[in-house]
Amino acid sequence: MRVLVLEDDRDLNRQLVAALTDAGYAVDAAFDGEEGFFLGETEPYDVVILDTGLPKIDGISVLEQWRRAGRNMPVIILTARDRWSDKVAGIDAGADDYVAKPFHMEELLARIRAQVRRASGHARSDIECGPLRLDTKTARVTLDGQPVKLTSHEYRLLAYLMHHNDRIVSRTELVEHLYEQDFDRDSNTIEVFIGRLRKKIPPDMIKTIRGLGYRLSEGDAN
Amino acid sequence: MRTNSLAFRLFATAAAWVLLVLPVAGMIIYSLYREEVENSYDRRIGVLLTVILSDSIDHGDSEPGAPKDVGEPLFEITHSGWYWQIKPLDGRPGRLLVSRSLADERIPLPSEAKVEPNDREVRWATLTGPLEQTVRVAETIYVFGEGQSAQRYSVAVAAALEEVENSLLSFRTRLGLALALAGIGLLAVNLFQIRFGLLPLHQVEKGLSAIRSGEAARLDAALPQEIVPLQQELNALLKSNQDIVERARTHVGNLAHALKTPLAVIVNEARDEPSGFARKVSEQAEIMGKQISLYLDRARMAARIGVIGRVTEVRPVGESLIRALERIYRDRQLSYIMDCPAGTRFQGERQDLEEMLGNLLDNASKWARSKVMLSVATLPADNGAHARFEIRVEDDGPGLTDQQLTDPILRGRRLDETKPGSGLGHSIVADLAHSYSGGLELCRAEIGGLSVRLTLPLAS
Repeated sequence: MRVLVLEDDRDLNRQLVAALTDAGYAVDAAFDGEEGFFLGETEPYDVVILDTGLPKIDGISVLEQWRRAGRNMPVIILTARDRWSDKVAGIDAGADDYVAKPFHMEELLARIRAQVRRASGHARSDIECGPLRLDTKTARVTLDGQPVKLTSHEYRLLAYLMHHNDRIVSRTELVEHLYEQDFDRDSNTIEVFIGRLRKKIPPDMIKTIRGLGYRLSEGDAN
Repeated sequence: MRTNSLAFRLFATAAAWVLLVLPVAGMIIYSLYREEVENSYDRRIGVLLTVILSDSIDHGDSEPGAPKDVGEPLFEITHSGWYWQIKPLDGRPGRLLVSRSLADERIPLPSEAKVEPNDREVRWATLTGPLEQTVRVAETIYVFGEGQSAQRYSVAVAAALEEVENSLLSFRTRLGLALALAGIGLLAVNLFQIRFGLLPLHQVEKGLSAIRSGEAARLDAALPQEIVPLQQELNALLKSNQDIVERARTHVGNLAHALKTPLAVIVNEARDEPSGFARKVSEQAEIMGKQISLYLDRARMAARIGVIGRVTEVRPVGESLIRALERIYRDRQLSYIMDCPAGTRFQGERQDLEEMLGNLLDNASKWARSKVMLSVATLPADNGAHARFEIRVEDDGPGLTDQQLTDPILRGRRLDETKPGSGLGHSIVADLAHSYSGGLELCRAEIGGLSVRLTLPLAS
């Protein structure tokens, strides 16, 4: 899951990036409206954290431009302006949620999870796929009730596949959604991680669809 | 008409002027008229004296003859008030002639009263004469006969002044009456003039009260050109007042933004540290955050108080808030039901209504199972009290027990410590409502959960 943090305060930006990375997201940071708009327009983010008071282009304008350009990723506005008139203006500009500063990081993370889930069509915080179960709150995966030990990259990959289970996910899509912008994107690493995952969960759950990508499903062992 | 009023000042000066001018004018007119009347009386007496003397000379020789052709019938009527008399002087014998009207009386003579003659040898005097009448007497001395028989005669004509006095009295009465009527007329016209002239001031008063009640933002009445500068100044003042409030709002918002971001950084930084110091910092930063929110809201409120009232249509505010909440809570699939008659207008700022309604709807959304209801209704006006309307926000969530409903602390908790997220929802709503002399009540909703009833002033 890729997140864009668009916040001009350097400290807060750093904290957000750290907290989101810890929570298993691939995070890009931008500090002004221009850079942020460009990233949001070109990269496929799963969630954007958007501050409204940005240099160069203000947050609301950035959001409006994205929406006009047909970018409809979930956007959570993070702002000190917590009057309802501001909230309504933000939502009307196309935001999906609104978090007022100062905020609790846990709350922001919960809101992000909710947006990611909603965008992939899951109503609950637990995502199940056959014997696999992903608790998005704690970022833990269990197989038949037993915890599965995963590295952070493995977790990112499995979590993305579980959010989009029963759907073919291309290698490019995986690279785009799992790695930060500056990451050295070698699609072979995806194959390596798929291989590792197959050792930790029933191997036939992740199918390779030749020429298209991968699909996670309950498995056709039966 | 109060004494400290423009109308009173204008009326009082006009009245003083009328009361001063009309009597003086009356006296001047009367004295001119009196002089004229007396002069013409004297002229008449003088003419008669000339006629009687020449007639007497014509009809006499060494002695005066009885005048025959005087042409004044009043000389023939006894005690008519008109008399003539020809009398020898120096105590020497001679012919005494008098008009029939004089009968046995005699005319008092100016020469005996030591009145000096004028340049035409006529002595004039006002004396008390026959029958105690006040008479105007003209007398001239003429010598009849020559040599030894020459004899000085006093020829006099007297006329009672009663006639003149009567005529003057009647003139005085009519003049007084006419002037009094003129005075009353002037004052009435003046009163009308004041009322009519000051009418635009009432328009200004109405305009100002419309601004105060929030129906108008500026003074737009078509006013006479003398008041237009005042109107322009007033409108400029209103505009600058609104600008100041807007600026204060902007500064307050900027301050909020400036403080809250570093505060968020401190809170997040401290949270990651396990030390007691970090815990203290985190705790205090949390308190600071709440205090900032609380006092910024108070500051916003204070900036509003005393500002010219505004009017906000309730329905669009409800619609936009519900639209936003539907998006924020779209996973919950809550249904929002709004019952708000179009045209219900809140007398106050849109932002404040949004704040109150937003917090209540948000709170209800957080607790609701499936339904949030917003209903707005105008309240029957109490006598004299400002018209009001009520906003009812209800949810079908768990609601409050009777004990919770009556305990202010528990009530506050339900409203303030709203599920996720922190805030001071209730105190802000209550503070705002109180600042508009409105009220906030909690009770159980018919659909199961909590019902919050907010009463606010209705714009007329």
